[in-house]
Amino acid sequence: MRRVKIFSGSSHPELTESICERLGTTPGKCDLRKFSNGETSVDIGCSIRDQDVFIVQSGSQKANDSIMELLILISACKGGSANKITAVMPYFPYSKQSKKKSHRGAITARMLANLLTVAGVDHVITVDLHASQMQGFFTKPVDNLYAEPLLARWIRHNVSNWRETVVVSKNPGGTKRVTQLADVLKLNFALITTDRRRINRDGWASSRFQSHRHSPVESVDGDAKENFSVGGVSGASYGEAVGPATDFGTAPRVSAPLAAGLGITTTAAGPPYFGVASGQSNGVYGHPNPEDDPDDEYADGHAHSVTYGRLIQGHIVDDDYPSPSPSLNPSHGDDPMMASIHSLPSLHPTDHALSGSIDADNSDDEDEVDQLPGSEKMITLVGEVRNRTALIVDDMIDRPGSWIAAAEHVKMRGGAKKVICIATHGVFGGDCLREMEDCSCIDQIVVTNSFPIPQEQRRGLRKLTVIDLSQLLSEAIRRNHHGLPTLNLIPDFY
Amino acid sequence: MTANSIKLLTGNGHPDLAMRVADRLGIELTKIIVLQYSNQETSVTIGESVRDEDVFVLQSTVPGNVNDGLMELLIMINACKTASARRITAVIPNFPYARQDKKDKSRAPISAKLIANMLQTAGCNHVITMDLHASQIQGFFNVPVDNLYAEPSMLRYIRENFNYKNAVIVSPDAGGAKRYNLTHPTNTLSRVQLTLSRATAIADRLDLNFALIHKERSGPNEVGRMVLVGDVADRIAILVDDMADTCGTLVKAAQTLKKHGAREVVAIVTHGILSGNAIEAINNSQLTKVVVTNTVPHAEKKKKCPRLETIDIAPTIAEACRRTHNGESVSFLFSHTPT
Repeated sequence: MRRVKIFSGSSHPELTESICERLGTTPGKCDLRKFSNGETSVDIGCSIRDQDVFIVQSGSQKANDSIMELLILISACKGGSANKITAVMPYFPYSKQSKKKSHRGAITARMLANLLTVAGVDHVITVDLHASQMQGFFTKPVDNLYAEPLLARWIRHNVSNWRETVVVSKNPGGTKRVTQLADVLKLNFALITTDRRRINRDGWASSRFQSHRHSPVESVDGDAKENFSVGGVSGASYGEAVGPATDFGTAPRVSAPLAAGLGITTTAAGPPYFGVASGQSNGVYGHPNPEDDPDDEYADGHAHSVTYGRLIQGHIVDDDYPSPSPSLNPSHGDDPMMASIHSLPSLHPTDHALSGSIDADNSDDEDEVDQLPGSEKMITLVGEVRNRTALIVDDMIDRPGSWIAAAEHVKMRGGAKKVICIATHGVFGGDCLREMEDCSCIDQIVVTNSFPIPQEQRRGLRKLTVIDLSQLLSEAIRRNHHGLPTLNLIPDFY
Repeated sequence: MTANSIKLLTGNGHPDLAMRVADRLGIELTKIIVLQYSNQETSVTIGESVRDEDVFVLQSTVPGNVNDGLMELLIMINACKTASARRITAVIPNFPYARQDKKDKSRAPISAKLIANMLQTAGCNHVITMDLHASQIQGFFNVPVDNLYAEPSMLRYIRENFNYKNAVIVSPDAGGAKRYNLTHPTNTLSRVQLTLSRATAIADRLDLNFALIHKERSGPNEVGRMVLVGDVADRIAILVDDMADTCGTLVKAAQTLKKHGAREVVAIVTHGILSGNAIEAINNSQLTKVVVTNTVPHAEKKKKCPRLETIDIAPTIAEACRRTHNGESVSFLFSHTPT
C-alpha cells in the first residue's frame, strides 16, 4: 500500500509485525524510550507528511504507559503533518470503566476517548468493545470489529465433536455476546448467574425452586437427542419448560430467544443430574416453605434446567460445607471494599488519610465472583451441559474468580465432560493465568492476541491457545485505507 | 460545610505534600480511593460529595512512574467533573513533560502541549504549578495558569541557613544555548534566560555577586566541557537551578567551582527529580549540600543521601489555593513567602 505508514507502540510489537507482514510492508521506524525520570519519549524516524498513519497499540502490563505512549505518538504524527491518523487498539484500555458504577466514579473510558481525540486521532479501530455503546464516546468514527468469526472458526476446527458442545455465558450481562456465537455455530447455550446474597439468610432459593427437592427425581435419561435447530423441538419432552424459564429474577436481561434456547436444552437432557443437588442439600437451600407445594407439577420444568451450587471464597463447595461465621461475613455493602484491598499494589500505603468506606472495587456486574473472605454466594446454571463440552465465553479474561467458579460449577455440578474458556481479550491481570492453568476444571483457555501476554507468564502453560487477530486487523487497515466497507471482514466459512 | 468550600483531593503521587497543604488550610483531605486493578488500570472513587464545591486536585508525579501519576490526576479531575464540581483546579507543583515543550527536531512531539490539552479535556478549569521549566507552557492552556515561584522560599532558606554575605550565586546552565540548542531539548535561549534570570534575581535580592557556568552538552543528560565566568575564589558558591534530574550538570559544575577555588559548593534546586544515579552522584560529588523543595516526593532518597535537604513549599501552595478560592491576588506570593 502506498502512502501508508504503520507504527507500533511498545505494547504489542509482535502483532504489528504480523499485521505488516500480511500487508506486505514493514513497521515505520520509530524510537520509543523513557527518560530517566520516567517520562515517555517518542522519536519518529521517517517522514509521514501527507500519509495515512496507523498506530497499533494495545494495553499492556503498564496500562498507563501504553496510553501515554499512544497519545504522544498520535500527537507527534499530528505535528508531523500526517494526513490521517488511525489508532488501532485491539484491546481498548479502561473499557470496563465505561459507566458510573458508584456515585462520583469516573467514566474513564469516555475520558480516554476524549484524550485520543484531543491528541489528534482521526479514526479508531478496535475489537470487541466491552460495551458497544462506547462508540458513542467518540466524536471520531470507530470501527468495532468482531473476533467472533475467528473464535467460531477455531471452534469448528479444533473442538472435537463441536456440534455437541454447549456455549455457556458465565454471567447474564454477556448473554447477548454468547447467543450470537451460539447462533452462528447453531449450538445450544446455557447461562450462569451468581447471586451475592446468601441463600440461607435471604431465602433466595426458597419457594419455586424448592419443590424438586421433594419430588422424586425425574429420570429423563433418554438418549440425548441430537437436535440443534434453534426453536425446533422445544418442549418435546417438557412442554411447559419454555415459559417459566424467563422468570428468573436474577437474570433480567434474559430475552425471549434465550428462553427458547433453554427449552431445547431441556429436551436434550441427560441423566437426572438433580440428584446431586437434591440429595445432599440439608436445608442449605432454604427451609422447606410450608406455602410451597412440593408436588407442584409446574415446577418440574425448572427442575431440569437449573443447577445450583454454593460458592465460598470463589470455589464450589459441598452442601454440607460449614457456612462462614457471621463475624467474618461482612455486610452486603462492605464486600467490594474487601475486594479492593487485594488489588492494591504493595506500594500504596493503605493507611494514609485517603481511604474511606465506599464501594471501591466496583467490579462489573459480570465479575462479581470475587474471592471475598467469608462470603458465600449462590451460583446457578440454567441449561443442560451434562456429558458435553462446555464452552464458557465472554469478552475478556481479566480476573480468574468468575471463570474458575463457572468452570467448577459446570463440571462438578452440571456434569460437563470438558470445559473450554474462550474470550477475545486475554488481559490476565496478576496471577490470573496461573490460577486458571492450575484449575483442574478448566481444560483449555482460548484467547486472541489482542492483548500481549508476556513470555514469562506463558512459560510452562499447556492449556493456553492464542488465536491470531492479524488477519482481521490487517484487512480492516487495508479496507480503511482504500475506503472499502469493513463489514464481514472474515468470511464465514467452515 | 456549606457549598463552595475548598475540597482538596490527592492521589498516590505525593500524599505528604497534600497533607501539609491541607494542614495549612485547616481542612481535611477529601476522602478518595485511588488504586490500580490487577490489570494495572487506575480506578478512582471519590468518597464524599463535591457537588458545587471548589475542588483542588493536588498531584505530583513520582519520578519513574510519571504516566501512572498523570492518569490518576486526569481520572480524578474527570471524576470531579462528572460529580458536578463547580470549579476544578489542578495543583501540579512539578509539571510533567515540561521539558518536551517544543518541536526541536522533525516530528518531535510537543508533549507538554499534549498534557495541557489532556488536562483541559479531563475538565480542569484552572492550573496552579510552580517554576515551570519554560514559561511558554502557560500559553499551551486555554485556562488560567498560575505559575508560582519557589524563589521567595529559597531566599528565606539562604538567609536562615547560610552565612550568605560571603557567598556567590552561580547559574549552572548558561552555555551552549546558541550553538547546541538543536542537540538538547532543554537548551534554548529562552530557557537559558530563564535560568539566568532566576539566579540573577536571587543574587539581586541578596545583594550578592553572580557567576555563571558556560556549558557544552554532548547529549541528553550528559554534560561536556564547562567554563566558569566570574569569581568564586574563597567563597561559598550557591548553584541555583529549576530542576535537578540526573544531577550530571550540578556535579560537574561543583567540580569546576572547586577547581576555581570555591570554599564550599551548595546547590538549591526547585524540582528535585533525582532520577537514575542522582543520589550516588551527589554522594560522590563535591557538593556539600543539595537543597530541593518538596514539589517532588523524595523522602526515600533523603535516607540514602544525608546531603539532601528540603524546603517545604506547602505554605506557598496552600496560600495560592486559599487566594484562588477567595478571589484574591496571587501575585503577592511571587515575592513573599507566607509565614
